[in-house]
Amino acid sequence: MSSTQSRDIATSRQVRRADVVVIGAGLAGLTAARELGAAGKSVAVLEARDRVGGRLLNHDLGDGQVTEIGGQFVGPTQDHILALAKEVGVDTYRAAVPGEAVYVHDGRAKRFTGHTPPDLFALPDMGIALARIGQAAAKVDPAAPWQAPNARELDGMTYETWLRKAEITGDAVDMINLFLNSAYGGEARDASALFSLWYVSTFGNETHPGTMERGTGTTGGAQDSRFVGGSQLVAQRLAEELDGRVHLSAPVRRVSQDSTGVTVISDAGDWRADRVIVAVPPLVASRILWDPLLPAQQDQLFQRLPFGTLMKCVAVYDKPFWRAEGLSGMGLLRDGSPIREMFDNTPPDGGPGVLMGFLGGKEWRKWAHRPAAERRGAVLRCFAQVVGDRAFDTVDYVEQDWTAEQWTQGGPTSVAAPGVLSDFGQWMGRPHGRVHWAGAEFSPYWNGYMDGAVRSGKHTATELLHQI
Amino acid sequence: MNRFVVAETAVIDAPIGRVWDVVSRTDRYAEWVAGAIEVTDHHGVATVGKTYAERNRTLGPLKTDSVWTVREIELRKRRVDTGTGFTPLRDVTNTFEFRPVQSADGREVTEMLYQVEYAIGLGPLGLLLDSIQQPAMRAGMRTSMANLNTLLRSEASRTAL
Repeated sequence: MSSTQSRDIATSRQVRRADVVVIGAGLAGLTAARELGAAGKSVAVLEARDRVGGRLLNHDLGDGQVTEIGGQFVGPTQDHILALAKEVGVDTYRAAVPGEAVYVHDGRAKRFTGHTPPDLFALPDMGIALARIGQAAAKVDPAAPWQAPNARELDGMTYETWLRKAEITGDAVDMINLFLNSAYGGEARDASALFSLWYVSTFGNETHPGTMERGTGTTGGAQDSRFVGGSQLVAQRLAEELDGRVHLSAPVRRVSQDSTGVTVISDAGDWRADRVIVAVPPLVASRILWDPLLPAQQDQLFQRLPFGTLMKCVAVYDKPFWRAEGLSGMGLLRDGSPIREMFDNTPPDGGPGVLMGFLGGKEWRKWAHRPAAERRGAVLRCFAQVVGDRAFDTVDYVEQDWTAEQWTQGGPTSVAAPGVLSDFGQWMGRPHGRVHWAGAEFSPYWNGYMDGAVRSGKHTATELLHQI
Repeated sequence: MNRFVVAETAVIDAPIGRVWDVVSRTDRYAEWVAGAIEVTDHHGVATVGKTYAERNRTLGPLKTDSVWTVREIELRKRRVDTGTGFTPLRDVTNTFEFRPVQSADGREVTEMLYQVEYAIGLGPLGLLLDSIQQPAMRAGMRTSMANLNTLLRSEASRTAL
């Protein structure tokens, strides 16, 4: 815990006072607090955990090195997180490592360069799929997906059903699932078609419409760059700036509002404020005691936006041995492989070697309850298919299961099943009296990403400043 | 009826206890048996008289659903199961046998026998069919034992949890 943050113990029910209480010290909450502070408002940020960063979490590798076990990638059009990181002095570096990637299918590992896996049977279908997804996503307004043409029809079926109706066959659906495994912590069958096409439409900004290629891409795409010092450092720097206004281990239990203000009851004490910004995942927000109750539609919406099921699996080695063999450490694995997508997560100065894989969706459901040694073995066997048997010679192995995090309850983002967006979507960011909403899931661009969180934090702070 | 016995042996680089523990888990066959795509039903640690079910590859793209019954268990030495669902193969009996041996550097490792016994009717056509399927079966058995070796290595990583 930084000396600039304070841990409060609720020894009495003395009520403290701030213009605005922000609930949640992830990127959205911290950004909102920073904006409000800059506008001269007094702010208190209440964070349930004993750390800041929300879904951003660094893992200490020793010797001052870290690797991320939460969100980590940024890329072009994610202007807001990139600008914020620059402002707080956190540099970026290119995530891609020189060398060949590996595509594992039908028990065979094939090396490849560029963005296109060497699969002659899947690629034609994949091309058709990308074209059809692109055309359909272009018709969805990132700010109001429920107004899209055929919104109700699209929201009446799963994404997988829509893909198959669009004559996209099993190989291409599996390739799309490979991406969704880490992007949703789920699969095409878990999400509505409208949600999924909208999600693609958010992979851009006000001048660059979202595309699937940008969302799935490494260099030039959403996985283009990483932060020197780890992504959580951005949140930590924001908390340092907020000097003493971030209160850790302060889970909020109840929010009551009346005509004169809002009372926030937390484990670290009570607060009275003119306004409150809630910057926690929608499902977690729905579990706060609300007085008066949230509008029923909004409560229903938040309950229907659970995060996916995702674990990050990280193996640490003396050095990134695969690089000497011309491998980038990136792997795409099909056929029900526990790890479907993996990356070289080695710190920017080249050591120690780190491989990271996502265990998500139905693979998480299959492996999460298995004994840890068996799960680790399965993960390392996946890594070995990509970089060879030296993958077994780990010096450290770490798993971060985001479903086990009480204050996140899954990862990496909310995934809406059929019927949610068209029936309840318009309630997403609607203020509840003096309570405003922020978070990566509230953004029309890069929804669920770091950039979405920062955008949302800024937007909500601006919205609020116009009202007080 | 033509009867056939196909056997392969391999040395698994792990003590017999660890090998036995994995082989006894009826839920884990899809993790190392080359022809097992998925275990569709199981009873955990193998018990005589109980069954487990698999989705299996047969020849080329062909798949089948099989049901196995555990027939004999001799702790850390021998396991015999019988299987159905491999038509035209009938009376399929799968045997695993284990024997502790020493590796070149003096460690205890395990010699494993993997044997499949079966019958094929159809007269001369059955002989022809077996000449096609038996090499693939042998290759699958060798791959399975190599997979088992890899699985045990992966779970014995230096950073055991």
